[in-house]
Amino acid sequence: MSDKLEEVKRNLQDETKTIITRKDAEQLKIKYLGRKGIVNDLMKLIPALPTEKRAAFGQQVNFLKIEITDIIEEFIKRVSSEAIPKVKTEIFDITLPGKRPLIGKKHPLTQTIDDIKEVFARLGFDVVYGPEVELEYYNFEALNIPSDHPSRTDFDTFYIRDDVLLRSQTSTVQIRIMERQKPPIRIIAPGRVYRPDTVDARHSFMFHQVEGLLVDEGVSFADLKGVLNQFIKTYFGQNIQMRLRPSFFPFTEPSAEVDISCSICGGKGCSVCSYSGWVEILGAGMVDPNVFKAVHYDAEKYTGFAFGMGVERITMLKYGISDIRLFYENDMRFLSQF
Amino acid sequence: MKISYNWLKEYVDICLSPQELADRLTNVGLVVADIQPVEDDFCLDIEVTSNRPDCLGIIGVAREVAAAVGGSLHFPETNVVSAHADIFKFINVSVEEPILCPRYTAKVVRHITVAPSPEWMQKRLTCIGLRPVNNIVDVTNYVMMETGQPLHAFDLDRLAEQKIIVRKARIGEEIVAINGARRALFHDMLVIADGRRPVAIAGVMGGAETEVSNSTRNIFLECAEFEQRQVRRTSRALGISSDSSYRFERGIDPEGIDHASQRAVWLINDCAGGEISGGTINISERHETRKITLRMERLHKVLGVEIKRDVAIDILKKLQCNILNNVDKFIDLEVPSFRGDISREIDLIEEVARIYGYNNIPTKTSIDVRGSTKNKVEIVEDTIRQFLIGLGFYEVKTFSIVDTSPLQSVNLWSDKGGIDIANPLRQEESRLRTSLLPSLINTKRYNMHHGTEQIKIFEIAKVYLAGNKLPHEKNCLSILADTDYLTLKGIFESSLVNLGILSECEWITFSEPRLFRDERAARIQMDGMTVGYFGEASQELGFKTLSCLLEVDLDVLIEKSNFIKKYQNLPQYPTVYRDLAVIVNEETPWSSIEKCITDTKIAFLKEVNFFDVYRGKQIPAGKKSIAFNLCFQSPDRTLRSEEVDIELQAIVDSLQRILNVELRKT
Repeated sequence: MSDKLEEVKRNLQDETKTIITRKDAEQLKIKYLGRKGIVNDLMKLIPALPTEKRAAFGQQVNFLKIEITDIIEEFIKRVSSEAIPKVKTEIFDITLPGKRPLIGKKHPLTQTIDDIKEVFARLGFDVVYGPEVELEYYNFEALNIPSDHPSRTDFDTFYIRDDVLLRSQTSTVQIRIMERQKPPIRIIAPGRVYRPDTVDARHSFMFHQVEGLLVDEGVSFADLKGVLNQFIKTYFGQNIQMRLRPSFFPFTEPSAEVDISCSICGGKGCSVCSYSGWVEILGAGMVDPNVFKAVHYDAEKYTGFAFGMGVERITMLKYGISDIRLFYENDMRFLSQF
Repeated sequence: MKISYNWLKEYVDICLSPQELADRLTNVGLVVADIQPVEDDFCLDIEVTSNRPDCLGIIGVAREVAAAVGGSLHFPETNVVSAHADIFKFINVSVEEPILCPRYTAKVVRHITVAPSPEWMQKRLTCIGLRPVNNIVDVTNYVMMETGQPLHAFDLDRLAEQKIIVRKARIGEEIVAINGARRALFHDMLVIADGRRPVAIAGVMGGAETEVSNSTRNIFLECAEFEQRQVRRTSRALGISSDSSYRFERGIDPEGIDHASQRAVWLINDCAGGEISGGTINISERHETRKITLRMERLHKVLGVEIKRDVAIDILKKLQCNILNNVDKFIDLEVPSFRGDISREIDLIEEVARIYGYNNIPTKTSIDVRGSTKNKVEIVEDTIRQFLIGLGFYEVKTFSIVDTSPLQSVNLWSDKGGIDIANPLRQEESRLRTSLLPSLINTKRYNMHHGTEQIKIFEIAKVYLAGNKLPHEKNCLSILADTDYLTLKGIFESSLVNLGILSECEWITFSEPRLFRDERAARIQMDGMTVGYFGEASQELGFKTLSCLLEVDLDVLIEKSNFIKKYQNLPQYPTVYRDLAVIVNEETPWSSIEKCITDTKIAFLKEVNFFDVYRGKQIPAGKKSIAFNLCFQSPDRTLRSEEVDIELQAIVDSLQRILNVELRKT
């Protein structure tokens, strides 16, 4: 039976080719859809069919009816508009600009954090968070920075009360995680940190850091170099070189400052890298045994490394931004550039 | 720490240019921040980390150079020739606080001639930024810069009762320091006193009354060790820091005191003449030598590279460690007294790595493979950010520390006040914020003043609410958008759908005149819990645009979000639509109409969609016409028109009975 329906449809398509005037179209409509039209004839066939096939056939005919209606209506519309010859008063200008929707943007610092998270996620690091208002213990003692120690000078800090402060580094999260989780640990912790620095082009009393920590059996300084090298190549580019310099952080031993070859001048020397060819981008080191002691880890069994980087600094380097204050002014003309 | 290139070369043989030297020092951890030519010399500004006080003297730097580069070391002359009268004839020294002052030595030099110091000395001091004063003061500075050991010279004749007592300050005592600062002293501070009064703040600064002047004939030269924390506490409490306190805080070489003292009197004798008293007042606590064992296996394990034992021993010897025992897998050694930072095996491992060269350690990736999953916080934040930026919103970041103005004091989430910072930099930044909206309002103003009139911004950040030990840090999403009320409300509602949150919101009248326009604000409630605040921006805020504000508790959204999806069969039977328009009192909110309809619990009623509110000529005053659309559907059959009409009538009846609506012809 459906062959018959197909045939009806083919015939119609042939006949539409002969339509020239509106009258032609109207006649075709009567021929197919009129009371004595072809479609109604098909309907009349239904009662003659076996019961189980009636419903399906009825549905098919109904679909055909809709289809035919659409086709003929389309022709009626077409010939009616063509029939009245229009005087061309206006010309459609295909070159007018499109109506562009506004493009929103993530803050450039969020973009950097997202990029860093993505690189480390591929290396198996989970993202964790910790409080910004912290107990002094997590910011200092547990990180092997005793009170009245000269290294505290490097960590001037906003206090709320005697033993409560605004964290001056995201390393606090290391302790909080290790306190409640046993190795292996592989985390990064992005977040806001605070230091009472007078605001200028390079300093802000609030900025962002991303902390990283990996603890397991048999983790070495060579692995630290391996992971950081992966990060640097993925984030900054395959041709970027990495250099480590000995440094001092109370919570790591050995400690290192990590430099990358200056991407602006390619290592030849320019104002961005102070003509050294290298720019400092993060601090890192092997977790100090005293830190493991604070969280009751067996420092003989487990070793690990930690690293921390300033998000503003990396973003400034990447885009050539020279004033940190731009990040917090939120001028739309600034934000729209990223 | 600034050093002179020529001065350094006196102690270590090197044939490197200042730049080459700087590079080599940087590679072992002494970062050379700057090199400045000074006449025929160079001044190198070295960043010395707080663990390396031994490098706060040029000899210490020379040792590092020798270890890193090679080259032999030469130490300066210290022989003292003549000895005259017994020192005890001139002064009596006692130390009452041996813990805070573990070692105190002194010498007396009489019949000196105070004059300018020799030109060569002045030149070197000037090169590293010190101002020459006179031959006595210059020698103490010179020796401090050379050895890292601070010294202080008193005018012997001005010390009352020929006494020096190292004791704690007494209540009511005060001192005028050499720099002219007058300070009241507290009883926990350590002072050097004569028979009557404090004459120096121990390790921090000497007093003006006993300082060496042009008329000084006899001096008392102090060379001591003061406890690090004590010096730091006192220095910070008094707000006085000096080259001396800087070194004592970090720790001096206890074995270097005698050398520095002898070196200083030798130079004084050379520059100012005089008679050196025989004997040294030397009150001392014994220092123990530190013995440490380095396990070769541990060295390998921590660094991830097999450094040969000979290489390790060579490095440790260059660092002047005394190798005691050298068997197979262990190296027992004694650490030199000037390396107070080395007390554990790990410290030795760092030393070996440092001189071996961090860049000579291989770059390995032997850590195992591990998958990581995004946590719910990240997923929700990412979803919201993507949704909003897709609608043209900009994300902003504003400071968590704000001022205490009435606007910034808005606290939507707690009855308690904000948390103040005890040591703010400026009053403008002295409190942790309790809402993000004031900062968004300020951002809008900033952009208005810089020519951007239309703005759609959001921030995801914390607010800080008074808690127990630590505050409650609540994650919030705040939006400021130059749109009408229903547009931003719709964006919020869609974002809930986008997070898979199915709970219905209740919108309850709310007032916060600092933020919202009167009668156009709501507290948003979900499952009986407040989740946010929303409304048109107050006209008092001075915006030229119609703007709306929203602040939502992101923690609740994170908790209620649901990203688990399950396929639902598509409806098999057609939906029947009916439009209705009803005239109601102005006071009747849409939510009552909607509730009245859904309360009829008609099984086939799938959706109620508001589409229009109309007030005008055909509608009596005090009334409004509300138009909406009703969708009916059955899961198992096609609904007949007549049965939908019956349901519709039931709805109309209910609306008329409960809300007294009047049906409007559509």
